Amino acid sequence: MSWHKQILRVNLTEGSCKIEPLNMEWANDYLGQRGLGSKYLFEEMDPSADALSPENKVIFATGPVTGTLASTSGRYSVITKGALTDAIACSNSGGKFGAELKFAGYDLLIIEGESEKPVYLHIEDDKVELCDASEVWGKTVWETEAILGKKYSDPLMRFASIGQAGENLCRYACVVNDLHRAAGRSGVGTIMGAKKIKTIAVRGTKGVKSPDPAGFFKLATEVNARMNDRDEMSRDGTLPMIDVTNSFGALPTRNNRSVRFEGTEKINAEAMHTPNANGHTNIVTNGACFGCTIGCGRICKIDPTHFSIKDKPQYHGASGGLEYETAYALGAACGVDDIDAATYVGFLCNEYGMDPISLGGTIAAAMELFDIGAISEKDTGGIKLEFGSAEALCAIGEITARNEGFGADIAMGSKRLCEKYGHPDLSMSVKGQEFAAYDGRGMQGMGLAYATSNRGACHLRADPYEHDFESTDVEGKALVVRDSQNEVAFIDSSGLCLFPGGCGWTINDYLELVNASCETEWTVDDVQTVGERIWNIERLFNIKAGLGRKDDTLPKRILEEPADVGTAKGLVCKLGDMLPEYYQLRGWNEEGEPTADTMNRLGL
Amino acid sequence: MQVSVKLFGGLRQYLPTGSAFNSCVLTVPDDSILTDVLSLLPIPEDKAFIALLNDVKLDKEAYADTLVSASDAIVLLPPIKGG
Repeated sequence: MSWHKQILRVNLTEGSCKIEPLNMEWANDYLGQRGLGSKYLFEEMDPSADALSPENKVIFATGPVTGTLASTSGRYSVITKGALTDAIACSNSGGKFGAELKFAGYDLLIIEGESEKPVYLHIEDDKVELCDASEVWGKTVWETEAILGKKYSDPLMRFASIGQAGENLCRYACVVNDLHRAAGRSGVGTIMGAKKIKTIAVRGTKGVKSPDPAGFFKLATEVNARMNDRDEMSRDGTLPMIDVTNSFGALPTRNNRSVRFEGTEKINAEAMHTPNANGHTNIVTNGACFGCTIGCGRICKIDPTHFSIKDKPQYHGASGGLEYETAYALGAACGVDDIDAATYVGFLCNEYGMDPISLGGTIAAAMELFDIGAISEKDTGGIKLEFGSAEALCAIGEITARNEGFGADIAMGSKRLCEKYGHPDLSMSVKGQEFAAYDGRGMQGMGLAYATSNRGACHLRADPYEHDFESTDVEGKALVVRDSQNEVAFIDSSGLCLFPGGCGWTINDYLELVNASCETEWTVDDVQTVGERIWNIERLFNIKAGLGRKDDTLPKRILEEPADVGTAKGLVCKLGDMLPEYYQLRGWNEEGEPTADTMNRLGL
Repeated sequence: MQVSVKLFGGLRQYLPTGSAFNSCVLTVPDDSILTDVLSLLPIPEDKAFIALLNDVKLDKEAYADTLVSASDAIVLLPPIKGG
């Protein structure tokens, strides 16, 4: 099978690095990546411990298919207790780091304890060492990769790092690998900052051994050919969705005051491809993660004459550009229709290590606080924080990245920010995590998916898209959300990306690759069972952390203020009509706790 | 009469040659139904899409009973997944 059957355990308090066998019984029950990492976290830490304390752990987890010949097999996850949410966090990233970690011989990397001084972890196959990080502490992600890349002079060494945002304990700091791919959500980078570990530098030469290399090559080729609807995603990435949700009336705009943004055509895929008045075109090319045959990544350049960077030549080169979520968060959510400004703040997120969804969501909340007079220029340090102001967006992005002045408030996330200034209802978040780019009034199933997501509001924990675009009637949505949550949990645990599912793959294609990697004969029914087990172990972690039914909810605005335009005009999210049925389908009691029958059935 | 239709995402490939980024103007007889308008676009029968008429999502069965007028906003969306 494609497992190395090895874990690397690093204890920062002791300064020790040990290799241990992988628990194969758990790997059989929970697959890899998200599922296996969640199982280890659940078993090894007290979920009620403070997320920033040494008791928390950070787990880098690959899947059985990670690093194989299968298309999109570059995925890994970072699992921990989230600094933003105080719930279980699992952030998924692509790039090339995950495959390299697997090549070094490790299925999982568990980091525990807390270092006295900043360190980084250097891995070259069996050679593992904790090193003094004083040369890179205080540096950006990009500087860190440059400094350590030069030091080790190995172009195939891969890095997963935090920037200053993680060091400064920004609540939504992320782990950035390969310069602009990130385990972005829930503050997983914040935990690395609390533990004072700056970077994982890894180089592996062991590869991944398939049980049947020739057979796997044939299968991977066949399955890749079934991804027959990928051209649009290669050309435009995820950005076409902004025209869909905007037309439908489900694009969160100006902190969800509206569900349609009048400036969409200035930040959509066509805007990215169209030269501006200076003849500058935002997009340079697309980019792909390890083994990917889609290439949804955007590699973009900011107009060098744009106010945000005209005196900053370090930003004149090409780097990771806007995707749908960043165009929403740094665009529509703030009412900003300036593609260069949004791209610039996106660059800052990669450079300093911040989640752009939570940053944009928090700035949008701050803009509303400013609009209603709850904060003023006195609070913001003179920044006129008005909806639609590209200048304010860039200025706030900069001071948040550097944790200066009002930026320290923005670094708390919207929930803590809005509580501090007396308007908790204005945080568009669930379990403290800011909304992704879908409004739960226009997309009722997504409302339920946000409310029940174990890591807080998230668009990638369920797949209610087709059902939601078909109807705003809530009938049947609880079942769609439950089943797709299970299926997504399985895919997130495989080492493969979710996006082939939008380019022609079905669950059977994923299943064939997993079965070939694990020497299993799982069926679609098993996908549901494994996914359900993963969902419930995350839920159990959260219950032990003190979360429950009270946290499976949405902001008052989504539940009480009707959508202003679009197909859902006049509608609120009917969460109360869906949640009891969802709990019942899950085999949970009225408090949202798994019943004894459910626990027994899943072997929990 | 002339009606304006917007197509998004991968559906844009079915716009007539020379169209703007995502929209076209089609000429149809007065009292046309939505099916008449759609028949002027080379969208394969098995290609799924969502039709909005003036911000109202229409069921496929309703296309043949829906009269269109020159002031209508017709939007066709692909059923894409999120990211």
